[in-house]
Amino acid sequence: MMNARQIKKIRMTTFVAILLLIAMFVISVATGFASLSPAELFRTLIGQGTPRENLILFEFRLPRIVVAIFTGMGLAVSGAILQSITKNPLSDPGILGINAGAGLMVVVYIMFFTVETSSSLYILPLFALAGGMGTAAVIYIMSYIKGEGVEPTRLVLVGVGLAAALYGAALTLSTRLDMEDYSFMANWMAGRIWGDDWTFVLSLLPWILILIPLTLYKSNVLNMLSFHENVSIGVGVNTGRERIVLLMIAVSLASASVAVSGGIAFVGLLAPHIARSLVGPRHQSFLPVAALIGSILLLTADTVGRVILDPNGIPAGIIVTIIGAPYFMYLLAKK
Amino acid sequence: MSRLYAKNLKIAYGERDIVKNLDISIPDGQITTIIGPNGCGKSTVLKTLSRILNPKSGVVYLDGKGISKEPTKQIAQKMAILPQSPDSPEGLTVGELVSYGRFPYQKGLGKLARRDFEVIDWALEVTGNYEFKDRAVDALSGGQRQRVWIAMALAQETDIILLDEPTTYLDLSHQLEVLELLYQLNRDQKRTIVMVIHDLNHAARFAHHMVAMKDGAILKEGSAEEVMTRQVLRNVFSIDAEIGVDPRTRKPVCLTYDLIKSVQLVENLA
Repeated sequence: MMNARQIKKIRMTTFVAILLLIAMFVISVATGFASLSPAELFRTLIGQGTPRENLILFEFRLPRIVVAIFTGMGLAVSGAILQSITKNPLSDPGILGINAGAGLMVVVYIMFFTVETSSSLYILPLFALAGGMGTAAVIYIMSYIKGEGVEPTRLVLVGVGLAAALYGAALTLSTRLDMEDYSFMANWMAGRIWGDDWTFVLSLLPWILILIPLTLYKSNVLNMLSFHENVSIGVGVNTGRERIVLLMIAVSLASASVAVSGGIAFVGLLAPHIARSLVGPRHQSFLPVAALIGSILLLTADTVGRVILDPNGIPAGIIVTIIGAPYFMYLLAKK
Repeated sequence: MSRLYAKNLKIAYGERDIVKNLDISIPDGQITTIIGPNGCGKSTVLKTLSRILNPKSGVVYLDGKGISKEPTKQIAQKMAILPQSPDSPEGLTVGELVSYGRFPYQKGLGKLARRDFEVIDWALEVTGNYEFKDRAVDALSGGQRQRVWIAMALAQETDIILLDEPTTYLDLSHQLEVLELLYQLNRDQKRTIVMVIHDLNHAARFAHHMVAMKDGAILKEGSAEEVMTRQVLRNVFSIDAEIGVDPRTRKPVCLTYDLIKSVQLVENLA
């Protein structure tokens, strides 16, 4: 039940977010090593580019940009789900240890396969997923109190503790890697978007394409789950089942995303918060905005990180953390 | 006749039994008030009737069927529950919150149909919330907020509405406002209303049927005149109460009371 002004505001915000994303895309292509000016970009996009321009856009730049956009969306929607079902504004796949669990499995993966063989790349998200799901299951069981359900504060505390333990385990294992694999691992943990060819885009695509629309479809249920159980049961939500289904969607989105992007925290925290403050807490309104903001955040972080420290750049995860950590403190203080 | 009743309820929190063996039956089209001391299990029973809690044993029946077996959305079309002082997400507007009451009738994305809008408008109107519909719920005063939650329960379009202490934390006039609203809903639309309430005089004034509970059992039930007696209040609350008749409503009122302990103390001294 919204008035015309609210609806207009939501449309405007979504529209502006799309424009910002497009602007960031143009800026990203126009900066750094092997760049294309906006004019060259436009020419290449409509199929009039030179072979060199085609190569730069379609082989070098576009895959990485699409990966940043997808993972930003995945993490943002995952964070939004977690915040609603735990009724805790501080929830985020990174804070809950899901990224760390996925990270541990990435190390295990590197120990058995080499990163370079592209045939096994499709398996990597599955490994990460197993890690993320395992972690989520442990957190859920440990924070479940019989008769009371999952208590949100406990969930976050267990998650934070488990994240520390899992990162420790991943680090310990990574000392057994050779130099090259170790450096990959260190970069992964810092959140460097390493998946930068179309294979990675393809391995991520099904997750994003299925799970994000599914989450939108569940908006109504998410609306009700953000209330106390007394309210959501009363209006006829099957709270137990819906919460588990949504938790699994959130974990899958986060795991598939971080498998390709590296351990990026705070996007899942920041994006939903910003979106809610812009268009309100109704999921139908803020989920699409949150997904857009997530991808803008990550694309910006990746672009900035790439530009300010040539030739290797600063991992996007670190740039996001520089913005995200103070915001997290602000949220804590406000509470 | 009762559409809503429960048999042999045993309810526990963890290992602690709150209610051991309780039968309760809610008269249709009437206002039922449940009274009793803190911890007597009255809210627990209300939560069990509304399927928020599952009983350890025993069954709650709605229209002759056990509620744990029926699809929860279908039950939500017949019975609404307003929990005690619920919270709402920051920034949610009154109109949005009330529209959430349509959940049991919605599928998928939850686009509101014309019928939904009609019911939401009516619920906002009848509770006096229409002019506030674009305001944030968390910015309203306690009394207004309670009326908004009642509007959401009304948007559920149910014949039965259960309320857990709907007047707690409200000032005198807001308490009466909420109760009169419920009274009108019952009188004009024959809705069945069940509420747990602390104020004995309010309980007696608005009830067709009163239930007095103690230690997880029903001690006495019946009309206000049958339940609001010196003897019943002595057993339920361990108080010595002076019961009179309200000159305006002709309902029994508790004029004054003392703790039984202190009455004995006074007698002993004399």
